[in-house]
Amino acid sequence: MSEQTGKQLSKEEKDARFEAELLPVLDPLYNFAYRLTLDEDDANDLVQETYLKAYRFFDYFEQGTNAKAWLFRILKNSFINEFRKKSKQPAKVDYSEVEGYYNSEDVEGESGVATTTDMRTESVQDLIGDEVASALNALPVDFRTVIILCDLEGFTYEEMAKILDIPIGTVRSRLHRARNSLKEKLEKYAKTMGYNS
Amino acid sequence: METKYTEVYQNAPVASKEAECEKVSMLLDLVIDGEATSEDQQYFNHHIEDCVSCFESHQKQKLLKGLVCGHLKRVIVPESLAHLIKAKIQETL
Repeated sequence: MSEQTGKQLSKEEKDARFEAELLPVLDPLYNFAYRLTLDEDDANDLVQETYLKAYRFFDYFEQGTNAKAWLFRILKNSFINEFRKKSKQPAKVDYSEVEGYYNSEDVEGESGVATTTDMRTESVQDLIGDEVASALNALPVDFRTVIILCDLEGFTYEEMAKILDIPIGTVRSRLHRARNSLKEKLEKYAKTMGYNS
Repeated sequence: METKYTEVYQNAPVASKEAECEKVSMLLDLVIDGEATSEDQQYFNHHIEDCVSCFESHQKQKLLKGLVCGHLKRVIVPESLAHLIKAKIQETL
């Protein structure tokens, strides 16, 4: 029953603790990786790399502290230091995918499936989601990052400052500029949805 | 002298209204993200009760945040990934 960290634990104990503390973050971590790389395979690699690094440094992780923020920080550093250089190109939006989706709408409508109100509501939700994703993906990665951390993952400014290694004031100003940028991109869409801007 | 006073008197409310709106716009993100102090929050709430344009900015910013957290689809983690990570970790000394 040693209160000391990692070193005293057997490999089995360490692995069990690692899995219990850090694997629950897999879902948000993978989503973050995907939003950064915009590629499923790259996200897969990045997440694996992150967990391996976390394992190597697990002795330095204080049990019960913010595992999510710790892993996000490791992932973001991996992305910046290594991954960004490796990836073939800066993130670009694939509008063709969205266009394809819109165009296939009518075709699907004719396929004889009864379109219930629920389904229609669902597809409107999907359309909004696609539009938000396109707008977000078109932002520079630093802007995209703060919006994901704040709005999608609900990190506080202080946690974001730690994850990104920047002062809280920079978190605030970056978030502000990121939102303005996102707003601009969504404004046209918002008008078509009946929101005045 | 009298005219000067009148001018100052007339300009003052406009200037302070502008300053108030500016302060409120600085607080907007803090309020939306739940990071404002209760004092700032109160100031903010009080101001948007009377100021239509700041009220609208607040609505818009809330909508924007809601679009991201409510509509951005989450990607599904490949089933194999957790197993892969566990396997790699067991190999690691």
